[in-house]
Amino acid sequence: MKITVKEEGATTVILLDGRLDLATGTNLKDEVKKLCDKGVKRLHLNLQKVEFINSSGLGAMVSVMKQVRLKKGRLTLSNLATYVREIFEITQLSHVFEIYETQQEALETSDKVTSE
Amino acid sequence: MSVTQVFEYKSNEKSYHQVVDDVNHLLDKAGVSMNERYPFVLAVSEALTNAIIHGNKKNPEKSVKLTVTVNEKVMSADILDEGQGGLDRIRQRKPSTPKDEGGRGIDLIEHYATSVGYVQTPAGGLKVEIRIERKTNSVVEK
Repeated sequence: MKITVKEEGATTVILLDGRLDLATGTNLKDEVKKLCDKGVKRLHLNLQKVEFINSSGLGAMVSVMKQVRLKKGRLTLSNLATYVREIFEITQLSHVFEIYETQQEALETSDKVTSE
Repeated sequence: MSVTQVFEYKSNEKSYHQVVDDVNHLLDKAGVSMNERYPFVLAVSEALTNAIIHGNKKNPEKSVKLTVTVNEKVMSADILDEGQGGLDRIRQRKPSTPKDEGGRGIDLIEHYATSVGYVQTPAGGLKVEIRIERKTNSVVEK
């Protein structure tokens, strides 16, 4: 899986490209840990190019969420394909994560929360 | 048309990717659409991951055997590990909570499968039998 990190204003965006499973989930967790250690508080995961995710990939996402919240940060997700969204709903993780239709929507909401 | 293929996987990380490639390749040959195949590929991936981690305990000397059959009516997979006590593990599992990092694999298999069977073999390994009835009897264009 390819992981691309870029800055969008005050938010650090991670673009995931490929399969998110047990093997690649570790890479994601390591990347987020590095960012959290650097002091990143606002993180967005764009899942548009995630072609496959299983329960191990979901476990990595939960781990990432815990890591961000431990540092009092905020994590948002966007661009979930229909089948990925369905898996989040089946496992009830859709109630735990902040999920937006688009990255733009997530970043705008994040900006509003910060300015309030 | 019915297609059956048998695969064998070592208990290592490469197998998590390889099984997705192999099953997708077989479903390509059988003409199963991308929309229809996702639950099946996911269920097989979950069962294989469990077989490697919980069944074979990641022992590189142990392998997992996968038998996949696809026809007009059903997609089925039997996943057999070389571990011990797998059936007890299935029976004693606890529901996962949203904050758990693991424990959702069986839930996803059981959600998507038309039927799931768990069989303890005489050698001690666990065989997971997954069946998903196809939505249509016709081949769908990708």
